[in-house]
Amino acid sequence: MPEPKMPEPLHVVGRSVPRSDAASHVSGRTRFAGDYTFPGMLHLKMVRSPVHHAMIRGVDLSGAERVPGFVRALTWRDVPHNVYTILGLIGVEPEEEFVLSQDRVRYKGEPIVAIVAETEAAALEAVSEVRLDLEELPAVFDVEEALQAGAPIVTHWGSNAFMFEGHPSRRVRFGDVEAGFAQADHIVEATYNSSPIEQAPTETTGCVAVPEAGGRFTVYTNTQALYFSLDNTAIILQVPGKQLHFVGGTVGGGFGGKVDVIVEPIATLAAMKTGRPVRYVFSRSEEMQVSSTRSAWRIRVRDGVMRDGRIVARQVTSYADSGAYSRQTPYALTKHAANAAGPYAIPNVSIDAYCVFTNRTPSSAMRGFGVTMASYAVEVQMDRIAERVGVDPWTIRFINAYRNGDIRPHRKPAEDATLIETMQAAAALVGHELTDDQRTLTSGPRASEPAGSPGGEAAPAGSPAAGAAGSAGTPAVVAGSTAEGVR
Amino acid sequence: MTVADYFLPRSLPEALELLREHGPSLLVMAGGTVTMPLINEGISLPRQVMGLRFAGLDGLEPVDGGLRIGATVTLTGLLRQRHVPMLAQAARRTASWSIRNMGTVGGNLFTPPPGGDVAVALLALDAQVEVRSRDASRTLPLSEFQTGFMTTALEPGELVTGIGVPAVAGETAYLKFGRKEANTPSVVTVAVRVRREEDRVVDARVALGAVGPHALRASRAEAILVGSSLDPGAIDEAAEAAAAECDPFDDGVASAWYRRAMVRLFVRRALEGLAQPVAVEGR
Amino acid sequence: MASRIVSFELCGREVEVLVKPMTTLQFVLRNQLGYTGTKEGCRQGGCGSCTVLVDGEPMMSCLLPVEDVAGRRVTTIEGITPVEGLAPIQQAFVDTNAFQCGYCTPGMVMLTTALLDHNPAPSREEAVEALGGNVCRCTGYAPIIDAIEAASASATGDATRDAGVMPDRSGER
Repeated sequence: MPEPKMPEPLHVVGRSVPRSDAASHVSGRTRFAGDYTFPGMLHLKMVRSPVHHAMIRGVDLSGAERVPGFVRALTWRDVPHNVYTILGLIGVEPEEEFVLSQDRVRYKGEPIVAIVAETEAAALEAVSEVRLDLEELPAVFDVEEALQAGAPIVTHWGSNAFMFEGHPSRRVRFGDVEAGFAQADHIVEATYNSSPIEQAPTETTGCVAVPEAGGRFTVYTNTQALYFSLDNTAIILQVPGKQLHFVGGTVGGGFGGKVDVIVEPIATLAAMKTGRPVRYVFSRSEEMQVSSTRSAWRIRVRDGVMRDGRIVARQVTSYADSGAYSRQTPYALTKHAANAAGPYAIPNVSIDAYCVFTNRTPSSAMRGFGVTMASYAVEVQMDRIAERVGVDPWTIRFINAYRNGDIRPHRKPAEDATLIETMQAAAALVGHELTDDQRTLTSGPRASEPAGSPGGEAAPAGSPAAGAAGSAGTPAVVAGSTAEGVR
Repeated sequence: MTVADYFLPRSLPEALELLREHGPSLLVMAGGTVTMPLINEGISLPRQVMGLRFAGLDGLEPVDGGLRIGATVTLTGLLRQRHVPMLAQAARRTASWSIRNMGTVGGNLFTPPPGGDVAVALLALDAQVEVRSRDASRTLPLSEFQTGFMTTALEPGELVTGIGVPAVAGETAYLKFGRKEANTPSVVTVAVRVRREEDRVVDARVALGAVGPHALRASRAEAILVGSSLDPGAIDEAAEAAAAECDPFDDGVASAWYRRAMVRLFVRRALEGLAQPVAVEGR
Repeated sequence: MASRIVSFELCGREVEVLVKPMTTLQFVLRNQLGYTGTKEGCRQGGCGSCTVLVDGEPMMSCLLPVEDVAGRRVTTIEGITPVEGLAPIQQAFVDTNAFQCGYCTPGMVMLTTALLDHNPAPSREEAVEALGGNVCRCTGYAPIIDAIEAASASATGDATRDAGVMPDRSGER
C-alpha cells in the first residue's frame, strides 16, 4: 500500500489570483464581437414596427432598393423556419415568435425586414426608405386587462396566458390555504407592482457572421448563451449544427439581456444569402427599445397570520408581463412560483403565477429571473406582517424562517437553509441586539431526521461546463459560461 | 442620403459665404454633441453640413466688466473663465468633461430642453446674441432669440457669432436639479439674479430651464420680487408664481407635474440662498 | 459624395485615411485602422466607452467627424499601453479589480489618464466628478475611484495612499 501523500499547498483555492483577461481588458486588446471586421463586410439594419399592434398590409421596398450601397432585403419568406421559441430546446411549446414578422406586428420595434448594405450609413438610409402599410389594431399593456374577456389577443393561438401543462398559470398547492385563513388571527394583504427594467449592458447586442470555406459559418457573438444561440440558429436556418461555429464568451455586460438569440440567426442568414460577412449590432436605442427586459410584475399576496407572528397561510397571485412573446419568461415564472412563499416555513400555501402576453417589448431574463421580484414582494410583506403583529422585522423572520428538512411548498425539502445564520451575521454587522433565542437558533433540522438528499441547482441554460484533465497534473476547466458582469 | 459635403470653413467670411450659397438646407454644427447622435442613429440624414470648429469663433474676452463669448467657445472654456462665476457654475453642471470639451456655448442656445442649461444662466444675465449674415449684422436679446421648441429668430443666411454678457448687476444663484449628480438631463434648472438697493429688490431675473419649449423667464415671479425685501413671504409667492407660469412637459426624465413642483422648490431655494448669504447646493 | 484624405497624428505616428464626409473618428479607428480598443457603447456621447484624447483633452470619438481632428494629435488606449507590461493606471485597474465585463474599461483608462495628466493627485470628489460621463454597468465605480487613488499614489509617492491596502471587495456581489 503506497504511503498517503502529504497535501501540497494549494495554488489557486483559497488565494486571490489575477483574472486571465485582466491585462487584455485594461489595454483594449480584448476583442468583443463588434470589434471584428472582415474584407467585404456588409451591414445589417432592421425595419421595425413603429406601432404596438398592427396588421401588415404591405411592404414597399422600391425606395430602399434605389439607395446606393443597398445589397438586399430579407423578409420572412427568406427564413427557412421563421417561427421559433427560444426555450423550444428544453421542450417549451408552442413555437410562437417570428424571426421576421409575417402578417402582424405585436410590439413596437418588432423586426419586419432586414436590410443589408455596403455601409452602415447606406443600411440606415435604406431602412428609412422602406414604406410600410400598416392597419393599426387595439393594443393591451396591462397584465390583468389582457386576461379579461374582450381584450385584444396578442398570440396567434387565441389566449393571452401562457399554458403550463394545460393550465393558464404555474401552480403550487400545499396544505389547505382556506383552512389556514380560517384559523388565522390576522389577514395581511397587499399588491406589489414593478416596471420593466432594461439590463443596459455597455456593449449592445450584436454579432458578425462570416461565410467560411466548405459551407460553414463562423459567428462572432456576444451572446451569454453560446450553445443555446447556436442550436436555435441551426433550427431557424434548418442547417446541421456542425455547419455553424460560434465564437464568444467575451460579453460586454449581459445581466440576462443577451440570452435571447435575436441577432445571430438573421445575420447568419444574410451571410448565407450574400456570401459575404455581415455585421448586425444593435444601436443604443434598439438596445433600449427592442432588447428584452426584466418583466413588469404585479404580485398580490394574502397572508393568514397568528397573533404570535406565525404565518399559517400564504396565497400569492402573480402576473409577469411577458410582452408579445414568451422568450425566457415561462422559465422565470416557474422559478418564481417555486420561491414565492419565501424562505419561510408556511404550512398552507397556494400560488398561481401567470405569464401574460401584452403588446409590450418581450421580457426575458434578468439577474435572479422571477425570484428577484418574488423576494421584493415577500420581504416587504414580512415587514407589513411584523407591523400588524407588533414585533420587529427581525423577529418576524426568526419566527418563520425555514430550516433544513422543512418541506417547501413545491414538495422539496429545504437543503441549504441559511436565513437564520445570515440574519445573525447581519445583526452583528449593523449592531442589532438579538434575543438569546435568536442568537442560538440554527437552520439545523427541527427533528432528528436527516435533511433532504444533497442536490444542487443545474447549471444555467446555455452554460454547459465540463471538467477536462490538463497536462502534468494541472487541472483545466472548460466552460460555456461567459464573463458578463454581475451587478 | 448620407452626407455629401462636410464644409469646415477657416474663417467667418468663408462660413457666411457657404451659408449664403447653400441656404437653409445647410446644417450648421458646432461641437456636434447634439447633431452627431442624430446622424449616428439615422434620425437626421443631412446632405450638407458645415462644421464651425475652425471658423475662428472661439475667442472669449472681458468687455466693459462683462464678457464677450465667441459662439464656439467650448463649455470647458466657459468653465475655466473667472469673470462671471455663474457661467462657470452652469458649464460645470452641464454634461461631462469630454462633452464639455466639445460642446459650445453657441450650440447650447440651440439645444432643446431638457438640455440647454447654459442658456438659462445667460438668460438671467440679459445676454445678447450676436448674429451675422454675409451682408449684415445685428444683436438681439437671448429672450427674443429662442422662439419655440428648436426654433429661433435666426433668418436664412444668418449665423450666431457670439454672445455678449453685460457686467453682472446684483447677486446670482444657479441651481440645476437632475436625476443624478453629473452628466444628466435637467428636471429643472433655475438661474436667478437680484439687484438690491438698501434691502429692497430693484431688479430681478428668474430664468427657468427644462420646463418649457426653451429657456424661459418667469416674469410674474420677477415682478413679485421687485420692491420686496426678499422676505420669506415674497420668496414663497415668487416660487408659486414661477411654478404657475412655467410650461413643463413629460419625458423620460420627469413628469410635467413633478417638474412644476420642483420649479416651486428650486426657485425658493435659489432665492433663499440670496436672502441668507449661506452656500446653497442644488443636486 | 467625394471621399477625401484626412491626416492626423495617431499615437505618435502620422496616419492618412480616405473617408466619406463626416465619418466619425470612432469609425475610422475601429473599422479602418483596426484600433478597436476604442469602444462603441452608444454613439450618442452618453457612455464614454469611446473616449480618446485629442491634443491631450478627453473627447468622445463617436461625436467627432474625423475631418475635425485633421492635423491634431489623437491618443487611444493603444497609445498609452507600453510595449511590455502596463502603464501605472492600467496596473492600478488590475490591482483594484476596477472592471468586470471590461467594455467600459478602455474609455475609463483614457479618461483617468487625462485626469492624472491634469491633476496628478485628485481627491476622491474630483475623481468622481471627472468620471461623470463614463458609464460602468458592472463595478459600481468604487473600485475605479480606488484605481485612480492607487495610480495617483504610485506616481506622487504618497505613502499614505498605499495601493496595497485597497479594501477587499472579493466577497461582494
